[in-house]
Formats: sequence, C-alpha cells, structure tokens
Amino acid sequence: MNSLVVARNVTKRFGDFRAVDNVSFEIEKGRITGLIGPNGAGKTTLLKAILGLTDCEGELSVLGLDPFRQRKELMRNICFIADVAVLPRWIRVSQLLDFVEEVHPGFTRKRSEELLAETKIKRSAKVRELSKGMVTQLHLSIIAAIDATLLVLDEPTLGLDIIFRKEFYANLLNDYFDKERTILVTTHQVEEIEHLLTDIMFINDGRLVLNTTIDLLPERYAELQASGDKADRARQLGPIYERELFGKRIMTFEGVSRDRLQGLGEVRTPAIADLFVAKVKGAAA
Amino acid sequence: MINVQLALLKREVLEHRAIYVMPIVLGLIVCLSYITGQVTVSAFDQAVDMAILGATNLGDKERAAALSVGLVATSSFFVFPMLIFSVFYMLDSLYAERKDKSILFWRSLPVTDTETVLSKLMTALVVVPLVTFVVIVLTHLCVLVISSVWVGLRGADAWHLIWRAAPLFDTWAVTLIVLVALPLWLSPFAGWFLFVSAFTKRSPLLVAFLPIVVLPLLEKIFFRSSLFAEAIFERSARMPIFGDLDTAKLVLRDSEEMHAIAESGIRLLSLVDVGRFLAAPALWLGLAVCGLFIAAAIYVRRYRDETWI
Repeated sequence: MNSLVVARNVTKRFGDFRAVDNVSFEIEKGRITGLIGPNGAGKTTLLKAILGLTDCEGELSVLGLDPFRQRKELMRNICFIADVAVLPRWIRVSQLLDFVEEVHPGFTRKRSEELLAETKIKRSAKVRELSKGMVTQLHLSIIAAIDATLLVLDEPTLGLDIIFRKEFYANLLNDYFDKERTILVTTHQVEEIEHLLTDIMFINDGRLVLNTTIDLLPERYAELQASGDKADRARQLGPIYERELFGKRIMTFEGVSRDRLQGLGEVRTPAIADLFVAKVKGAAA
Repeated sequence: MINVQLALLKREVLEHRAIYVMPIVLGLIVCLSYITGQVTVSAFDQAVDMAILGATNLGDKERAAALSVGLVATSSFFVFPMLIFSVFYMLDSLYAERKDKSILFWRSLPVTDTETVLSKLMTALVVVPLVTFVVIVLTHLCVLVISSVWVGLRGADAWHLIWRAAPLFDTWAVTLIVLVALPLWLSPFAGWFLFVSAFTKRSPLLVAFLPIVVLPLLEKIFFRSSLFAEAIFERSARMPIFGDLDTAKLVLRDSEEMHAIAESGIRLLSLVDVGRFLAAPALWLGLAVCGLFIAAAIYVRRYRDETWI
C-alpha cells in the first residue's frame, strides 16, 4: 500500500453548508503535498477529518485506519502542528519532553535533545518564556523525534518572521523528511514552500480544483506574457485566466502545448500562487 | 495504559502545583500557629502552658483524648480548603486547555479523550486527597515535634507525655478513610463540574453554580417542592460513614460532642462504619450520576468541533 491517505467523495456538512464537498484524492508515501486554498475554503476542515478530529461523510482512510474511529492508533503514526501557539504555556521544556516520552511509543528523546542542542532553548525554560519562533523550534524538535509516517502541518509558520520561517522549512527537510515519511502542509505563504512540494492540491469552496504533481505542472500549464495583436491571437487559444501587468497581458493556459504559444510572447511555467489565482478566479469568471 | 495514566496524572500535578503547595502552606500555618500559640500562652502563665502542652496534670486517657482532638482538628482544617480547591481545579481542567488551545497539542498525541478526562477525575478524587493526607501526616508529626521540644525544654518527658499518648495511627486511619470516602460521596458534583468544564464556552464557575441555585428556586415556585435542594444538601452534609455521628456537627467542630467522644476513650476508628458507607445506595447512585456526567464530558471533548477554526 503506497497511498497513505485515500479520500473518496469526502463531504463535511455544517447544516446546509458544505465545508468540504465531495472531495477525492490520494496521498502517496514519501510525498510533500501542499494543500492550498483561501480562508474558509475547507482546508482546515479537511485536515481535521484526516486527523480524526471531526467526522465526515464518504470514505476516508489514513494509514489504512478510519481516522475518526481509530484515532489513538492513528496518532501513533501521525504528527501534527496546527498552529504555533498550541504548546501548553505553563510547561517546562524538560517536562514536555518527559511527557511525550511517556505517552508516545515512537518518540526518541535523545534525537529531540540533539535537535534542541542546536537552538538557544533551555531545558528549564517554560514555554511561556520562549519567543514564538522558539516555540515552533521546540515543537518541531519533538515532531522530528517521533517516528511517524505522516506529518500534517496547518499554517505552521503563521506569525513568524522570515528567518524563522526559512529555518523551519530547512529543518523540516533536514531533520524530518526522508523517503519513508510524508508531509501534508497548508500555508498562505505558498511561495516559500513552492520549491519543497512534490504535489499540490487546490481547494476552493470545499471542492478540489486542482490535484497534481509539481512535475506535471510545466506540461499542463503555461503562462504567456503578450501584448497587442499577439495577445488577441493568444486569447483565441482559450486562456483560463487573464490579467494585466505593466501594460502587458498575462494569460494562463491549461492543456495548450507550448509550441503553439511560443511565437506569441514569453512563455513560462506559472508560479503556484499565480496558478492558484488563475484556477480560482478563472473558474468564477 | 497504566503508564499513560501515570504520565497524565503527573502532568496534572505539574500544571496545578497548588495540589501540593496549598496543603503545605496550610501545614505551615498550623505549625506556625502552634508555635505562636505556645509562646503566647507561656508568656502569660507557665502552669497553663504545661497543662495545654504537656498535660502533666491529666491522666493518660484524658491526655490521649486531648491530643486526639488536637490531631482531628488539624486534619479537618485541611478538608474544606481541599474541597474548594478541587472545585476550582475541576472547573478549570477541561476549560483552560480549550481556552489556550493547548488541547490541540494534547490531542495530537496518542492519548484518548477518555484517558484524559479520567485522569482529571482521578486527580480530583484520588490524587488531591492522597497528597493532602500525606501533608496532614507530616503536619501532625511537625506539631508533635514542636510540642515535644517545648515540653522537653521545660524538663518534662515528651516521649511519655506526647508520643506514647497520641493516637497517631488511629487518627491517620480515620483521616485516610474520610479523605478517600468523601470524594466518592461527593462524586456527582465532581462529574458535574468536569462536564461543565468540558462544555462551557465562558465562566465555568457561574455555569456550574447557577443551576444549583436556580433549579431549587424553580422547583419551589412551580412544584412547591424542594427535592432537588434536599438532595444537594443531604449530599453535602451527611456522609453515611460515621455510624450515628452527625458529620454536619463534626464539620462545624461541635466541641462538646468531640470532647464527649474523646473523653469516653473510644477509638476513632470504631466510630467509622465503612460497611454502612459501602452499602448505602446513595453512594452508588451518586457514583452512577458521576459516571453519566463523565461520559458526557468525554463525549463533548471528543465530538465537539469548536477549536481550531
């Protein structure tokens, strides 16, 4: 079994509102998948369903388990960081390590201590005495020392400055990630993790609007910068989205070969953020 | 499972240090008041001083009784603050973790909601009373040491006057039985407080006590009865463990009755009727009510979906 997460027609309703609407996807082992969507798109609800924190309709299997009904077994093999502020503020670093060691069979304390030794975090410090960035480092040093198969990150670097954000993702790759492990991450700052991702899923209004590997992006999507007549000709090829930048027309194409666009202007692969806007706004237009 | 439970209990003690700090402070207050009391009394009249402390002019039986009263009074000094603390602890325990969102971290570990909620209940019903008991025992020993030093300094035989006379094991056994039985007897309240702590969105104290005040009033107005109020009062006041002894009076430290018991020279342990306590349907009914509230608290922590939006 290579698919760690299998979702078939997953729906989560709150009354008449569908926070997640008939979503199907698979996440394979060893991938880093970015789940990208605007606020209120259903990202967090979907993550909660995957983590067994909320029930849902449809078929959802995580590591071969029903996440909602087999949550304890699931939590042995899943880690998640929901937000930087969730570590209890009253606890001391050493007490936190003690506790995780006592309740988590997959936690290697030595590994965590090694990672902490690279930071300025003192074992005797209380979480409330640490800066936001340090709390994230602490959390990551615990997560990285847990032998878990799937790591779920929901806006893990929210509110951190750029140095900590960069460091966080560098550490994540160096200390945590290997071919046996899989990461599912949501973030607003998609540009910062673009180079890490192997897969992306776009979610909007509870629906998946894109689910692809990064490798396939250049084949399927192209962004053309054109002006004047050429822009008019390009428009006939049916761009999914068009915008203007410094007097030039920028068009995003889906499934149009680059050969056909080549003579019309500068062609490149769209950045994920731009592609996201194109998919969401293009669909709305 | 047991290791996880122990880790959870340890976490509760670390988070709520008042579990041991508060009884220690009370113990220090008791010791300090013994010292100041003795100094003050002896400053006025040495004869009175010796009568109170060494009790040289009392017979063995009376001296044992006097010491017994002193030790029981010391024990009971801890009980009311312990109960008040437990109420605040329980109201806070499932509320604070939601408020500061640390629930998300706790729930990211392989620990079930049942284990977590049970650890909070265990802390309130078992850990807090046992810690209190240990501190009571230490306080008793400190008080006797202080008295012994005082008596010794005046040339009397502290071993004979105090240590041989003091019914320590009798007092400790009764204290322990009461500290184990009382939380079980009051468990329906414990269940209610934890349930409130799990579901309320604000001010758990108000939400917990408002129904206890308002429901009896409504019952009185609409049904002209007071069953609910009586049930609550009965449970708060009368624990069926002291045989025929009125515990309400004992809590209020009815000195006459305490003296009567003490002077008759009977052992405190013989006043306690554990069998009757365990046979009381009200005990098991109370535990069942507690179980229902705890199940509800677990359900709410497990299924409600309000944090992390």
